[in-house]
Amino acid sequence: MNIGESINLYKTYYCLDCGVCTGSCPVSRVLPTFSPRLIVEKALLQMGDELLSDRDLWSCLTCGRCYQRCPTKIDFPEFMRNLREEAIKRGLAPALAHHGMLQSVMEFQAEGVRQKKTDWAREAGKIADRGEVFYFVGCMPYFDVIFRDIGVDSLSIGRSVIKILNAAGVTPVVSDQEACCGHDMLWNGNPETFKKLAAKNIELIRGSGAKKVVFSCPEGYYTFQHHYPQYFGELGFEVVHFFDYVQQMIADGALKLSDGAGTYTFHDPCRLGRMAKIYDSPRAILGSLAGEGFREMERNRENAVCCGTTGWANCSSGSKQIQAERIREARATGARTLVTACPKCRIHLSCALTSMEEMDLEVKDLTTLISESMR
Amino acid sequence: MIEMVRELMDLLGIDRGRLELQWVSSAEGARFAEIVTSFTHRIMELGKSSLGVAA
Repeated sequence: MNIGESINLYKTYYCLDCGVCTGSCPVSRVLPTFSPRLIVEKALLQMGDELLSDRDLWSCLTCGRCYQRCPTKIDFPEFMRNLREEAIKRGLAPALAHHGMLQSVMEFQAEGVRQKKTDWAREAGKIADRGEVFYFVGCMPYFDVIFRDIGVDSLSIGRSVIKILNAAGVTPVVSDQEACCGHDMLWNGNPETFKKLAAKNIELIRGSGAKKVVFSCPEGYYTFQHHYPQYFGELGFEVVHFFDYVQQMIADGALKLSDGAGTYTFHDPCRLGRMAKIYDSPRAILGSLAGEGFREMERNRENAVCCGTTGWANCSSGSKQIQAERIREARATGARTLVTACPKCRIHLSCALTSMEEMDLEVKDLTTLISESMR
Repeated sequence: MIEMVRELMDLLGIDRGRLELQWVSSAEGARFAEIVTSFTHRIMELGKSSLGVAA
């Protein structure tokens, strides 16, 4: 899709030039040259070539804070995604984080490999090859290896999910051949690899006999729920976020959580909150396990800020500033534990925390917290 | 770093023996030939990888 078509699709010509987007943008606060408003204006003024070659094209976190507040509802993140697709076609690319290791894993999966990545799940509990419920693990087995050096054991999230599902009498399907959901490829402007990954996953899940797919990763959840149907139509299975599932299990009496001591605050991931609109179930769960110990940050729900980088690209000093500010905000609530709900948010905030030694704060995923509070 | 990549290869189902890192100085021609020859033999023995053929 060229720039003109993107303008028409996302109706950016409705821009009122009010600047609420740039005023809301966490990147603009730390990188003053970056301005969503200016990007929209430049596209309208047919300065597309300049836009596509500008590094700022890749600075957008696609966090959707601008879209949330835009009076004419211009979907800036999706507009950026389209511009990125066009930039990639012209041979421009983002600066990949972690030496492009994660994108390489995704490319391998898209080409087809025989993965062996479920040993941890077998150790954690009961899993099956076929069944009603499919647990879509996502990229955590790879994160677990890559981010071990900053002390993040990513798979603790997956182990907790299996433990909780088992306790509620569910034996989920966990597959070696599951591929990355394609979220990052899509937002990196590479829809071709996204489509290959998505097609593999859809075929795999259909073949497993599952009627319900449970996600602990908000990116996977949102991508399956929002983008898969756009490219592949009706999926033939239900897409459920783990927190909604847990909330239902609590309501049904299948899961009981104890009132934990401690003080917690919650970081809304962009994909879970603004995009998938899941704000309530994590809070309901936190309320039932922490009670009075749960405290909101100043910027919460629709107003929450991104964890600083997206799609394993363009991690910069700006990202670090956003993360450090978020950590200070979390600590200012008086909470000792910053609860996250996305494996990437957890990695990014933990990474920033390693250089903030004075900060008496722990970063923990909600899933882990639920499993620790089970009785 | 190399051990991390090997672990990633295990997860991807690609034999970890397909990766080798050696430092050879420009003065060590014979050693270079030896390493490359033995690595080539190893890859021949391992045969075709699952990349691109598996589901």
